[in-house]
Amino acid sequence: MQIKHGLISCDSHGQLGRDAFTSRMSKEKWGDRIPQVVAVPNDKGATIERWSLNGKVSGPGPFAGGIVNCPAAMGDPTRRTHPQRWDEVPGIVYDPAQRLTALDEDGVDAEVLFPNNPTQNFGFPGDADLELDCVHAYNDALNDYRRYSDRYVPLALIPYKSPIDVIVKEIREAVKNGAGGVVMLTEPSITIPGVKPTADPFWDPLWAACEELEVPMCWHGSGGLSKELAVPLWEGYSRHATHTAMTARLCVTPSQMIPNLLFSGILERYPRLNWMLGETGMGWLAYVLESCDHEWERRQLWRDGFETRPSEVFNRQIYGDFWFEKAGIEVRDVIGLDNIMWESDYPHITTTYPDSKAWVKRVLEGVPEDEQAKMLWKNAARLFHLNVESVAPGAPA
Amino acid sequence: MQLKHGVISAVDHVQEPPDIWFTRVNSKWGDRVPRLDRQADRSDIWVIDGQQLPLSGAGSVGAMMPDRTIEPRTWADMPRAAWEPRARLEAMDRDGVDYSVLFPSVAGVAGENLNRIADPELELACIQAYNDWLIDEWGAASPRFVCQCLVPLSSIDAAIAEVRRSVARGHRGVIFPSIPMEIKALPHVNEPDWDPFWAAIAEANVPLVMPAGAPGPIQIPPDSSLSPRVADAFRAITRAASHVPVMVNFLLSRILLRHPTLRVVFAESALGWVAYLLEYTDHQFREDGVHTEGYELNPSGMFHRQGYVTGWYDRSGVRTRDIIGVDNIMWSTMFPQATSSYPDTKDFVTRSFEGVPQDEREKILYGNAAKLYSLN
Repeated sequence: MQIKHGLISCDSHGQLGRDAFTSRMSKEKWGDRIPQVVAVPNDKGATIERWSLNGKVSGPGPFAGGIVNCPAAMGDPTRRTHPQRWDEVPGIVYDPAQRLTALDEDGVDAEVLFPNNPTQNFGFPGDADLELDCVHAYNDALNDYRRYSDRYVPLALIPYKSPIDVIVKEIREAVKNGAGGVVMLTEPSITIPGVKPTADPFWDPLWAACEELEVPMCWHGSGGLSKELAVPLWEGYSRHATHTAMTARLCVTPSQMIPNLLFSGILERYPRLNWMLGETGMGWLAYVLESCDHEWERRQLWRDGFETRPSEVFNRQIYGDFWFEKAGIEVRDVIGLDNIMWESDYPHITTTYPDSKAWVKRVLEGVPEDEQAKMLWKNAARLFHLNVESVAPGAPA
Repeated sequence: MQLKHGVISAVDHVQEPPDIWFTRVNSKWGDRVPRLDRQADRSDIWVIDGQQLPLSGAGSVGAMMPDRTIEPRTWADMPRAAWEPRARLEAMDRDGVDYSVLFPSVAGVAGENLNRIADPELELACIQAYNDWLIDEWGAASPRFVCQCLVPLSSIDAAIAEVRRSVARGHRGVIFPSIPMEIKALPHVNEPDWDPFWAAIAEANVPLVMPAGAPGPIQIPPDSSLSPRVADAFRAITRAASHVPVMVNFLLSRILLRHPTLRVVFAESALGWVAYLLEYTDHQFREDGVHTEGYELNPSGMFHRQGYVTGWYDRSGVRTRDIIGVDNIMWSTMFPQATSSYPDTKDFVTRSFEGVPQDEREKILYGNAAKLYSLN
């Protein structure tokens, strides 16, 4: 692919078409348990549409938000408009061809695709069999983006409730068909009862496979732990203050999950397996790295088999993200210039689309061009093995 | 202000000796009074009204031990400087610390081990035993100790009464567990029910001090596969991070707007995440349109006017001091915990403050704390 603009989004959200699952899953076997768009009445009696999962309409409530999370693509600068029916969802959100026009308008060369509706929690309800068929359909459908253009990097989902050999088989197939990474819950044992913790040897065959395939494990935001790591939400907040309260605190999760990973032994056993973080921002990483190093030193944790300083392990294998912030840019050397990627989070409410160029210019003011190039596209191109054939003169290099 | 060393430690911990409780709490409570229990394996543990706790309580004395990761097994092995003021002064002199702001250990991170006592009368007796002991033993031993009181959680009125009583006795700060609703059936801290409590603290001209490590599920437990040493390291790391949601909630709650003279210390926060958090909270506050909902200041505005955070090993946090606020940062030694900079505080300070202008360095190392705790 070509780098025309010099921006690769390491975290955007890929929307599947309305028939992604119904066209792939067996109606005889699953009937209305297949993820699909259904008509439901809203609280005013009008007919709207929502996704149904395992026979139930999904989400926080059928009438909140919309059928697809894409407020930045609705032509409303206040981002308070949500599509209530499928025919209101813009093609630039779910159609690979049309979506490229949105990327070009925004000045973005390529994007890594985390999930959108109906699986924003990166999982499917129901038993292991249903979950597996849903995941398989999802992975195949999302790979259509890659089949259309190498400017898309689809991320595969994991069927958590299946045996490990089934999980590995699904991931291998997804990667073979175009997936460039694997989405993982930050601590699956807390989010899905019965699933083994990240540090459990159960997952070793998955780490081995992903290391061999050279695809990174991808965490996103609170990665399935949004309710647990919080002050109980105050009922007195307005709807908008609630959103602020729930999102602003999100770094509390990866702040704990990165140490969880650094002390799990996984990175020592699989030193070429990479991890990346989406929608976490990065300024707080400076805290994690300094804190882990400090406690490692004070307690002499090399005695427990952690021979390498934690921040060095991080630099070797883990990547962070940024989009709006300046504080993290100021301490980018602490986090590691080779460990930082940019994201747009298109088409969610917090995205820098369609003004990504202007945002980037503001946030990276004063940063040398070669450092900009690393953070804006080079690190992502390397991590996701994007074959860059040429770089346009205007792009940072 | 004339200081010998130029460092005020805004967070240090005392280890409460067993005799506080049996000399000060009425013997009618029998074995419900906090006591040491000798185990079959010859180690000591604490028992507080049936609740079993490690010898070092919610704290640790690792910095004084030959191996920082091995706590003493019996009270007899507890280092003197952990529980006795004169020995503590000697440790402070060795390490280069002028004043020390004191926090509990056995009583909990913020008193929660005592707050869990169900009977309001026993809870209050234990809280007052701690508060009085601290003033009578440490406060009386030297003006270099800055005493802070704990409060009961049996009712908001009881908490207010204890604030007034303790400040009258000489306490200069009020320690408060940041999520009291996880300990007792109490209204959410954001509810107006708490307004008289914040008002009492503000009126007393002392800070509200919330240590990191709130009760509840906010800290992920260490994975069961971790060795005890690594698990303790993990807990120390996640403790500071657990202040993130506490700070966000507090800044959005309007408490600081209703009580514009109330100062809040987010103690043991560390500094590396604070600039990011203030920036992100302001960003979302704006993006979500919350600035149109009647806040006269945005989150960082409220923080700059009334908030404080504490560092002890931080470097990147000091580099981002302009965003956090040079007037809003205090330094600490976290003595005598395993994480403490003791006995290398001078080296830690040199490393963390490289290149920092003298006036800013003085503010962070002692000026802000001296002003906050009225130590002039």
